[in-house]
Amino acid sequence: MNTLKTVGHPTSRIDAEKRVTGTATYTGDLRLPGMLYARVLRSPHPHARIRRIDLSRAQALPGVKAILTHENCDVIWGSGDMRNKRYLFNDPVRFVGDAVAAVAATDRHTAEEATRLIAVDYEVLPFVLEPEDALKPGAPEIQPGGNLSPTARGAHEPEQYRRGNIDEGLRAADRVFEDQYSSPHINNAQLEPRVAIAQWDGDRLTVHTPTQGISNCHTEIARDLKLAPEKVRIICQFMGGGFGNKNQDHDFELMAAVLAQQAGAPVKIEFTRKEDFLAVHGRWPTKQYYKVGVRNDGTLTAIQLRGYSGMGPYRKGTGGIAGIEIYQCPHVERLVYPTYTNKAVSANLRGPDFPQGVFGIESLMDDVAYALKMDPVEFRLKNMTRKLNDQIPYTSIGLEDCIRRGAEAFEWRKRWHAPGEGSGPVKRGAGMAMGSFSSSMGRSSAVIDLDARGTYHLHVGVTDIGTGAKTTMALIAAEELGVPLEKIDVIWGDTDRCPFSVGESGSRTTTQTGWAVVEAAKDLKRQMAEKGLPQGNQLLTATVNANPAPLTGQARYSFVAHFAEVEVDTETGHVRVTKYVAAHDSGRIVNPLTAESQVKGGATMGIGMALHEELLYDRASGQPLNAGYYGARILTHLDTPEVDVLWIQTEDPYGPFGAKTLGEPTIIPSPASVGNAIHNAIGKRVNDLPITREKILGVLA
Amino acid sequence: MSKISRRRFVEGTGAGLVATTVPLQGQTAKAAAAVPHTTVKLTVNGTVHRLDVEDRWTLAEVLRDHLGLTGSKIGCDRGECGACTVLLDGKNVYSCSQLAVWADGRTVQTVEGLAQNGKLDPLQEAFIEHDGPQCGFCTSGQLMSAKALLNHNPHPTTDEVRAGMTGNICRCGNYNHYVESVLAAAATLAADSRRKA
Repeated sequence: MNTLKTVGHPTSRIDAEKRVTGTATYTGDLRLPGMLYARVLRSPHPHARIRRIDLSRAQALPGVKAILTHENCDVIWGSGDMRNKRYLFNDPVRFVGDAVAAVAATDRHTAEEATRLIAVDYEVLPFVLEPEDALKPGAPEIQPGGNLSPTARGAHEPEQYRRGNIDEGLRAADRVFEDQYSSPHINNAQLEPRVAIAQWDGDRLTVHTPTQGISNCHTEIARDLKLAPEKVRIICQFMGGGFGNKNQDHDFELMAAVLAQQAGAPVKIEFTRKEDFLAVHGRWPTKQYYKVGVRNDGTLTAIQLRGYSGMGPYRKGTGGIAGIEIYQCPHVERLVYPTYTNKAVSANLRGPDFPQGVFGIESLMDDVAYALKMDPVEFRLKNMTRKLNDQIPYTSIGLEDCIRRGAEAFEWRKRWHAPGEGSGPVKRGAGMAMGSFSSSMGRSSAVIDLDARGTYHLHVGVTDIGTGAKTTMALIAAEELGVPLEKIDVIWGDTDRCPFSVGESGSRTTTQTGWAVVEAAKDLKRQMAEKGLPQGNQLLTATVNANPAPLTGQARYSFVAHFAEVEVDTETGHVRVTKYVAAHDSGRIVNPLTAESQVKGGATMGIGMALHEELLYDRASGQPLNAGYYGARILTHLDTPEVDVLWIQTEDPYGPFGAKTLGEPTIIPSPASVGNAIHNAIGKRVNDLPITREKILGVLA
Repeated sequence: MSKISRRRFVEGTGAGLVATTVPLQGQTAKAAAAVPHTTVKLTVNGTVHRLDVEDRWTLAEVLRDHLGLTGSKIGCDRGECGACTVLLDGKNVYSCSQLAVWADGRTVQTVEGLAQNGKLDPLQEAFIEHDGPQCGFCTSGQLMSAKALLNHNPHPTTDEVRAGMTGNICRCGNYNHYVESVLAAAATLAADSRRKA
C-alpha cells in the first residue's frame, strides 16, 4: 500500500484541547435565558391501562408551567416504532419506564417534585417477558395483531433467509451438531445522559440535542411535529457517546419541543441515568437454536438457525441475529422471530445484529472443531467466507490475514491447548472468533469554501460521537487538497450550516461522508486550476452531493478476528482476561491513533458483554432490578486488559483512499472470543451470556 | 392546566399548540422561600465565592449551573460513573454525591483549574497525545482522579493507575489510552522535577 502524506499518520484530534480543558460544550452545558426544566413520569407497571390521571396537585405546585400526558398530546414518535403507532405517551403503557407524563417547571427540582404529585390510576394487565413465552397461545397481546412483530410487508412471519436446501445439507453431513445459546438485554450506557433543549422563535424550532445524526434528527423531528423542514434546526456540537441509541429523533426531543411551545419558553429536558437504562433502548435479548452439519474432514454442509429476539413492546430495531454469514456453506437456513415483550425496548447497540449472533455460531463452531480434533484456527481458515453468501465476491478481503497474523501476534500455538487441560485452581485458556460487517458506499454531502486567506472551510454534517469524525474528515480533505491539516477549518453539527450527512451510525461516516469530502476537494482543485485562487472577499465553493451507484456483483466488507486469553479461578468463578489481540481489516486506516482507540473500546465493551452485563427482571413482578452502571457492572479500569491492535490494511478500490468501516466490527467477535477462551480453560461451555461466576461454578459443579 | 380534548389538541397543533394555565407569580415566590437555603463559602480554582444555595443542591449542580463551570459532567447523578469527579481539599470526590452545603469553607479544584497561566497540565498534554478522550464526557473526571493520584503517588505503576482511577467509567472503553496517558504524564513530571533539582 502506498504511503500518503496526511492520511494514515497518527494524529491528535483537532478538538482535543477542548476535550481536556472542560471547554467542549455538550448539550447539558447550555443554558438559555428563561429556560425551563423538564422531567418525565414513567409507568411503574410492565403492562397497564391508564384509567385516570389526576394532575391537580402537580398543577398547583408553584413553578410548574406545562404538563403533557396522552390526554393532551397525541404526537406520534415515528422513529420509536417501525411497525405501530407509538405516541410520546401511550395508553396502555407496555413496559416499566413507558412515559406517562412530562412536566416543565422553573427548575429541575420543582419539575421532579411535580411528577411525584401526579396521581395515576392504573388497571394492571397481564405481562410477558420472554419472546418464546410471548409467542405461545394465550399470551398477553402487547400490540394488535399478535406478539410476532410483522415484517416490513406487514406479514406476521419470521424474518427468513435461505440458500441451498437445508434438509439436503443435513443429510450430506457425517455429523450434525445442535446447541442453543442466549444473550440478554444490555444497555448502550453512553456516559452522557439524554438531554435536549428546545426553543421556538415564532414558528421556527431549534433543538440542541446529543444526536448521532443531525440530518436524520432534522427530517424526523419535522415529520413528527408536522413542520416544514426549513422550520427546524438541529445543533449538536459535542456529544457524549451513543453507540446506536441516538441515531434517530427521540421522544425527549419531541417532548421538549411540545413543552416549550405550550409554556412559551425554552425547555431543557433531562433524563436520569435510570431512565436512560430503562426507557430508551438496549441490545435485543436473543435465544438461538443451531444445527450444523459437517463432514469428517471439517467441511461444512449445513447451518440452520432458529432465533428469537425480544424487542420490548415497540419495534425500534431489526431484531436480526447475524454471524452465520462468516462461514462458507452450501445449505443455509435462518429464521428469526422478532417478538414483542413487556421488557425495555430493544434496538441498536454497536453492531446491532452481530456480537450476540457471533457468540452463538462461534461457540458452536468451536465445539465442532474440538469434536473433529481440529485446531479452531485451522477450522476457521478452512471454512471462513470467501464470497458473500458464497456468491458475491468481496471488493477486498483480509480475513485470512486477520486470522493468521492475529494468531501469530497472539502466540496461539503456545497459548491454546486441549480444553480443560492443566491443573490447579486457576486455569488458563485461549479462544478466538471472527466477524464481518458491511462497508457499503452511499449518499452523503460535503461543501468546501476556500477564502483569500488560504483557509479551507469544510462543512460536513457530522457530530463526532467519539470516533474522531471531525479530525478524520479534515485529514481526508487535507490529503486530497494537498495542504497541511491546519489549513482545514471544520464546520459541523448544525443543520443550518452543514449539508446532509448519513449520520454516525452503521459505521458509515468515514466511507460515505469521507467520500463526499474527497469529491468536493477534487471539484475545488478543478475550480482553482480553472479560475485561480480567490482574491479579496471572494470565495471558491465546491459542493458535492455524493451518491455513488450501489456496487453490482461485488460486496464491500470489513473483517475482523479477535483472540483472547483468560484465567479462570475454578474456586470462585472469577475470570480475568490476560491477553487480547484484535486484528482488523478495515482497508486503509485514516487515523491510526483514533482508530486504535475505537478498537480498544469495542473489544472492551465486548468483554463486558461476555462477562458482566445483563438487565435482570423479576419474573413475578416484571420489574427491572439492576438499571444503572453499578448494577450493569460496566467494565472499569481494573477489569480491562491491554488490547493489542493489529491492522490488516487491504487495498480496496472504493471509499476515501480505500478506507473501509471500523467502529462496529470492533465489538463483533469479542464476546465469542472470551467465551471460547473460558471453554478452553475449563473444558466446559457456558451457553448463556453473560458468563458470570455463578454460571461458571454451575458448569463446573 | 385546563383539560384539553384530543380533538382540540390536534386542531391546535396546526396553528401552534394550546397553552396551559400558568401559576401565579406570588405562588412561585412563596415556594422558593419554603425551600431551605444556606450561605456557603467555597474556594473554587483559587477564587472565593459566597453563595446562597438551596440545601438540596449538589456540589455538581452548584459548580455547573450556578458558577458556570460545566467542565465537570453529570453522567449518573448517583455516585456510579465518576464523570463529575472534582478535588475537594485535594481528594477526588464525586461532586454529584456531595451536597453543596457540605463543602462550606472548603477548597474545590475542577478541570477548569488544571491549566496554570495558560499552560496545560502535563496530564492534559498526555491525554491529547495518547488520545485519552473519545466522546470526552468522562474525561474531566478521569483527569481529576489522575491528578489526585499523582499528587499523592507521583510514580505509580500501571496497576496503581488502574486502581486509582477505577471509580471513573469510560463506556467508550478507552482505559488503555487513559492509563498510558497518566504514566506518560508521571514520567514528564519526574523529568521536570529532575531538571529543577
